[in-house]
Amino acid sequence: MEQRLANTWRMTVNEKKFIETALHSDLRIDGRRPFDYRELTVKFGREDGSSEVQLGLTHVMGFVSSQLVQPYRDRPNEGTLSVYTELSPMADPSFEAGRPTESAVELGRVIDRGLRESRAVDTESLCVVSGKFVWSIRIDLHILDNGGNLVDAANIAALAALLTFRRPECSLGGEDGQEVIVHPPEVREPLPLIIHHLPIAITFAFIGDENTVVIDPTHFEEGVMGGRLTATLNANGDVCAIQKAGGDGVMQSVIMQCLRIASVKAADITAKIRKAVDSYNTERALSKIRRQPASVAVQVTEPNQIEVKDFLSKHKEKLMLKSEEGGASHSDDMEIEAQSSEQDKSRRRDSTSKSFVGGPLSWDPYSKGVDFEELQASIASRVKVAPVEKLEKSRSDEPYKGESPKLLADSSTSLLSDEKAATGLQIEKEKTLKDAVKPKHKRKKKASTNTDAS
Amino acid sequence: MEIDRGDGRKPNQLRPVACSRGILNRAHGSASWSQGETKVLAAVYGPKAGTKKNENPEKACFEVIWKPKTGQIGKPEKECEMILKRTLQSICLLNVHPNTTTSIIIQVVNDDGGLLPCAINAACAALVDAGIPLKHLAAAICCSLAKNGRVLLDPNKSEEQNMKGFVYLAFPNSIQSVLPEGSLQVGGEPVEHGIITSVTHGAMSVDDYLLCLQRGRAACEKLSVFIRSSLK
Repeated sequence: MEQRLANTWRMTVNEKKFIETALHSDLRIDGRRPFDYRELTVKFGREDGSSEVQLGLTHVMGFVSSQLVQPYRDRPNEGTLSVYTELSPMADPSFEAGRPTESAVELGRVIDRGLRESRAVDTESLCVVSGKFVWSIRIDLHILDNGGNLVDAANIAALAALLTFRRPECSLGGEDGQEVIVHPPEVREPLPLIIHHLPIAITFAFIGDENTVVIDPTHFEEGVMGGRLTATLNANGDVCAIQKAGGDGVMQSVIMQCLRIASVKAADITAKIRKAVDSYNTERALSKIRRQPASVAVQVTEPNQIEVKDFLSKHKEKLMLKSEEGGASHSDDMEIEAQSSEQDKSRRRDSTSKSFVGGPLSWDPYSKGVDFEELQASIASRVKVAPVEKLEKSRSDEPYKGESPKLLADSSTSLLSDEKAATGLQIEKEKTLKDAVKPKHKRKKKASTNTDAS
Repeated sequence: MEIDRGDGRKPNQLRPVACSRGILNRAHGSASWSQGETKVLAAVYGPKAGTKKNENPEKACFEVIWKPKTGQIGKPEKECEMILKRTLQSICLLNVHPNTTTSIIIQVVNDDGGLLPCAINAACAALVDAGIPLKHLAAAICCSLAKNGRVLLDPNKSEEQNMKGFVYLAFPNSIQSVLPEGSLQVGGEPVEHGIITSVTHGAMSVDDYLLCLQRGRAACEKLSVFIRSSLK
C-alpha cells in the first residue's frame, strides 16, 4: 500500500523551521504564548453520559454506558471501568480504520490510568451482589477531529461524560434475595456515579532544544516536537499520573516547572468542567417535567380537527402553485381537497395538518403551525446559524405568538398556553428547519388516492 | 382510524430535520444530519490517490467506514457500509477522478430510528461540502408499515420495533423545472424519480410496498426542497 503512504501528511522543512524560530521569541503559530491553553468548550448530548468537547480545533465525543457483569475474581466487591478510544479515520487522514495504532492504545492507557489508579471513580459503590453482579462502566471516546493534543481533550470528554452519566437503580429481589432487578428510568430515578476527584491531563511538548516547552500543542507543533510529557493532576494538587514515553531528554528543572504550571491549569479546567456539568444538571432537573406518559398526547390532539376556512383556501392556492411545477401527485391532492364526500373528519385533519401540528404537552417542537412559505424564507436565513445552535440546548421559550400568526382556532391557543405552562422550556431552536419538511401535500391516506395518483 | 404516534405526529409527518456542514477542520468535507433524535456525523476525505485491489482503476472508488456509537464493529455495520457505498456510487460521477479513493466516515451520534436514511443524507451533504462531483443528491427516508396496515413515515426507534415492517428508501432529489417539461420522461414516469436504494425489514405485501414507495417519494420531494435550501 505505498499509495496509502503517499497520502500521509508530512511537514515541510520550512514549516518546522518557522515554528521553531517563532518559539525563540515566545510566539506560537496560532498566536498563543507558550503556556496558554486553547479555548475549551464542553457540551452534552441528548442522553445521560454523552459529552462533546472542543479544544481549539480538536473535537472529541465521549459516551458512557453501563452493564451488569460478573466481577473479577480478585476483586469481588468492585465494579469495573474500561476505556475504549477510537482514533476515527474522520479525525485525520493518516488514521486508518481497523486495528488500533500505538498512539491510539497509548491514548487509551493514559486516560485509563488517570481514572483507575487514582481511584477517581468509586468502584465499590458499583457493586450490587458481591462476587456475582457488579456494574461495569464502559467509556467510549470517539476522536472526531485531530487538531492536536488528543489526550487532554479525550480526558476531559471522559470526565464530563462520567459526571453526567446516570446508572439505573437496581435492587435485590426474587425468591432468595439474590436476583437483581434493574429499574427503568421512568420507575426510579437513575443514580449518578460517585466521583471523588477529577484527574485532568495536561500535555507539554518539547520543541527543538534549549528547553523550549509549550503547553497544549496543536497538530503542527506535534509534528515538530521532539518529546512530549503528559501530567495528570487533580485540583487538589495530587499527581495522578505522568507519562513521558521516550523523546528528547529534558532537564529536571524543566519537568518541575511543567508540573507547577500543570497544577494551575488543572484547577482552571476543573472549574470549567464543573460549571458546564452544573448547568447541564440544572437543565436536566428542569426537564424532568417532560417525563410524562405518551397517553397525554392522545387527548390533546383531538381539538386539532377544527377546520380553518381561509387557511384552506390559501392552502389550495399553494397547491395550485405546486402543481404547476411538480408531478401528478400534487394535482391529485387538489382534487381530493375538492371532494368532501369522503370521510370528512379525517380529511379535515389532513388539510389542516399543514397548519397544525399535534401537540403532546411536553417538550414538543411540533406544537405550532407555521406557514410554509414563511418557513422557506426563514430557513434560507437561518440555516447558516444552525450549526452552532444545534449543539446547544437552548432553553428559551419559543416565541409562539411571533411565529404562528395563522393559528386561528381558539382551542389551539389554549392548547399552546397549556403547553407553555406545563413545559416551560425544552424547545430546540431547529424548529423552523424541520417544519419545512412537514409534508403538506400528502393526502394519501385514503385508498382512493392510489387510483388518482397512479 | 387514526394512529396516535408516541410524539403526536401525523402518520405523514417527519421529525424535525437539521443539517449543518463544515463542522470538522481536518476533513475535506463534513456534515451532520439529524432527524428528531437520530443524529449522524459524516466526514469525507478525498479523492486520494490509488484504488483498492479489486476495484476498477478507470473509475473513482468509494470507501465507507461506519462507526457505531458504542461497541465493536460487526456484521450490521458492514452491511450499512455496503449499502451506503453502493448508494453513493450511483450518485457520484465516477469518471471525473479515475483511480482515486474517496473515504466517507460515518459516526453515529445517536440512534433513535431511521439511522440508515439519516446516514445517507449526511453523507450526501458531506460530499457536497467536500466538492466531490455528483450527478444529483439522494434524499432518503424510512417508511414503516404498522400492524393495522397504515403507513407511517420516519418512525422513531420505539415505533420501528412495533411495526410489521419498514423500508429505507433513497430517491434522487427532484430537479426543479430548469429543463423543459417532458424532456426526462420515460414511459410516462419522469426519469429522475427512479429509486436509488430500497432496503426492507420485515414482511409486507406488494401493495403495501408500493404504497410506501409513493409516500416515500413525496416525502423525499419535501426533503429535497429542504436540502436545496440548506445547501445554498
